[in-house]
Amino acid sequence: MKSFFKSKGFREFLRIVLALVIGLTLGFIITLFVSEDPINAYKSLLLGPLTRLNRIGDWLEESLTLILLGLTICIVFNASQWYIGVEGQMILGALASGCVALYVPLPPFPRILLAFLAAMIVGALWGLIPALLKAYYNANELVTSLMLNTVALKLFEYVLKNFIMHEKSRSVSSDYIGKEFRLGTFIPDWPFLHNIRELWMKQTNVTVMVYVVIAAVIVVYYLLYKTPFGYELRTVGLNAKFARYGGINVNKTIILSIMVSGIFAGLAGVHITLAIHNRLISNMTSGLGFEGINIAILAGNNPLGVPIAGLLYGYLRAGADVMERSSDVSRELVYVIQAMVLLLVTAERLLPVVKTRIAEHQEETGNGSAGHVKQIEEKGDTHVN
Amino acid sequence: MQPIIEMKNIVKIYDNGVVANNGVNFVVNKGEIHALVGENGAGKSTLMKILYGIEQPTDGEIILNGESVTFKSSLDAIDHKIGMVHQNFMLVPSFTVASNVVLGSEPLKKGLIDREKVLQVTQELSDQFGLFVQPDAIVDSINVGQRQRVEILKTLYRKAEILILDEPTAVLTPQETQDLFKAIRTLVQQGKTVIFITHKLREVKEISDRVTVMRHGKMIGTVDTKDVTREQMANMMVGREVFLNITKPEMKRAEKRMEIKNISFISDTGRPVLRDVSFNLYAGEILGIAGVEGNGQTELVEVLTGLKKSAGGSVIVKDEEILDHSPRDIRQKGIAHIPEDRLTNGVAVRASIEENLIVDRYFRAPYKKGFMLDYKLVDSKSNELIKQFGILTPNAKLPVGSLSGGNMQKVIVAREFSSNPYVLIASQPTRGIDVGATEFIREELVKIRTSGCAILLVSADLGEVMSLSDRIVTLYEGKITGVFPKAAEVSEEELGLYMLGIKQQTYEEMEKFL
Repeated sequence: MKSFFKSKGFREFLRIVLALVIGLTLGFIITLFVSEDPINAYKSLLLGPLTRLNRIGDWLEESLTLILLGLTICIVFNASQWYIGVEGQMILGALASGCVALYVPLPPFPRILLAFLAAMIVGALWGLIPALLKAYYNANELVTSLMLNTVALKLFEYVLKNFIMHEKSRSVSSDYIGKEFRLGTFIPDWPFLHNIRELWMKQTNVTVMVYVVIAAVIVVYYLLYKTPFGYELRTVGLNAKFARYGGINVNKTIILSIMVSGIFAGLAGVHITLAIHNRLISNMTSGLGFEGINIAILAGNNPLGVPIAGLLYGYLRAGADVMERSSDVSRELVYVIQAMVLLLVTAERLLPVVKTRIAEHQEETGNGSAGHVKQIEEKGDTHVN
Repeated sequence: MQPIIEMKNIVKIYDNGVVANNGVNFVVNKGEIHALVGENGAGKSTLMKILYGIEQPTDGEIILNGESVTFKSSLDAIDHKIGMVHQNFMLVPSFTVASNVVLGSEPLKKGLIDREKVLQVTQELSDQFGLFVQPDAIVDSINVGQRQRVEILKTLYRKAEILILDEPTAVLTPQETQDLFKAIRTLVQQGKTVIFITHKLREVKEISDRVTVMRHGKMIGTVDTKDVTREQMANMMVGREVFLNITKPEMKRAEKRMEIKNISFISDTGRPVLRDVSFNLYAGEILGIAGVEGNGQTELVEVLTGLKKSAGGSVIVKDEEILDHSPRDIRQKGIAHIPEDRLTNGVAVRASIEENLIVDRYFRAPYKKGFMLDYKLVDSKSNELIKQFGILTPNAKLPVGSLSGGNMQKVIVAREFSSNPYVLIASQPTRGIDVGATEFIREELVKIRTSGCAILLVSADLGEVMSLSDRIVTLYEGKITGVFPKAAEVSEEELGLYMLGIKQQTYEEMEKFL
């Protein structure tokens, strides 16, 4: 047990919780200034998502998307690729899965399966463009992937307006996808669960995607930490020169890391299409792509931390919805809190309590790396450490 | 002549225990050109960093114009009219020459920068000291020689009376070097004092009035340049360090393992760095490359290991061409590599020890099992290596960055030696590490050589090259200047002459020994 409390994972968790507490406190102070009834406003933010079943549903649905996007970013960040094209991969994944679900004449099960496959492939292929540009022309992936997001969003709108939308339709959207081609609820159809199942089905869109997401987290964890590819990816991320020296094909690894990450962005596309909106509709990503970055940062780029970060983040967002509807405080306050939390998590020195323990640990085992830089500059007799 | 600077008993010990300066006395007279020479790592840069306030001495005193001074930072040194031109220029490439010269203390007019004045003062300084630059040119667009002049003008603008030039000719063409020398003479005529760091003895002879030689953190001596020959200076620079207690079993040279023919390499800036380098490596033999750093050793190793693309030549291993193949291909042929720059190439500091140990083998059996990497096996193999190579660490999961330099190097050595290499290329294998680790690594090198590995040893430490090698090749300006088939029979004075390009063997003399 002692080792658990000393473990890196627990320390990271503690850091996030601390950051959250400080962020929320600061948020409350701001609320005191802007609200007539600050206590209730804050209560609706903190407890709102749990007050009704449909709100719990909203929270979980959004969290699932966030977790998938967090995984996407987690993979590329582990390879030290500052790739932020998730939004584009997600919307094209949505388009692909939507088209399959709407138009491919197959029975439900294979059709949904094909929708998944299509979205995953499209997500991966869209990542191929900035990956190749980066690997062979050293084009900054941050810039190319950001610009390709716009391209993807406009492409989606174009296809939606010109090929999918009905002329008579009042909104820029496709028809609804047939019930049997959407994802089913996550609660199995067992007799004793029957009533609960009915209730959840009626009030929420929490689907079997839950299981897909759990599987995705495990797959990404194993991929990164237990496979040769994950080893290559992380090594390239930690020191590309060392990777090259050791014989790793750095370009290939960069390309593959971005493509593999795209698979999970594609899954997020499936989720918003076949579980949440149940059709293709303008602005259906609602800018969530970038939130994936925050999730990954909160999780310290560890795939096992992503679900926790996703659920926390999703909870704040859901709380913000409730607060906005039931009080005089707008959801922008929550953005302030989110920003504070992120700032505190990334600004490592602000939480020295936790960090000093890591430092102590390094003291025990030898010098930190700072001294070695000097050692390289000047050669001479050295003491045994 | 009156001393302008006296550095007395300067001692510098870095936090990690490296002794860079050990009781150095250094005196510079007013109005002279004083050359400071020594091999890389002799401590001359550290001494100058202390004089310029970048580093603080552990002990000792600096006397400037008869007064004792302490510099907390280089700003203090600048206040005392000391200026330094570093090897790597510190200019803003998108600014004009004049803006760079005045940067930080611009002439003002009504609180704004007086652009005309900026150009004017730069032009005046340039004319006064014969350092010709175009004040309104953008730094990005001018060549290296001109950039250096901008750096010198920067120090003059800050009223420097003493100029420290750190290896100013390392980046220059011969023509630019001559221009620089002309400028230095002008500076001295106008009363400035110049300290000139170099290891090119030809230049010392040509430009300096007096010369101070350093070796292993100590001052060997200061002499009038006209009284010494290049040969004498070479001897002062490379005198042997006392450590030789390596017992080397007799060499049993066997089959040829690597055939290197006419390798050339051209740097990004178009400078030829390696010119037609040829030699062979044999099983059971250590071939040492002796040379002052910067004469092509780094590039030679990087070309042989696939990290840099050559400009022609051939490398044959097991009847196959491997030149310009990928690092993985080359490693698959059994070529192991201890890299010169440990922190850049040798390890990933934030990765664990075990992950650093498997970079050349993680992709094949038994480490790879189906789709997975067998971390249990990685763990047990790593612990074996940690024990075998005496790496001091509580476990294999800690980041390599938490180890001391010597232990970090042992991780690299453990990885490269345990791959059972066909050929080992070891570059600066003991640089900057403690005595214990140094001896251990040297013993291991001899051990695998005796058991039949072919080894190429590149080291800036001449003592190391001489005591470990069976055969020695000297490299000067990217060319082989000599080959010594029996390392034990050559003196360091003799080697020094070849390393510094003063003597050279003909191709016919070298041919049969390469």
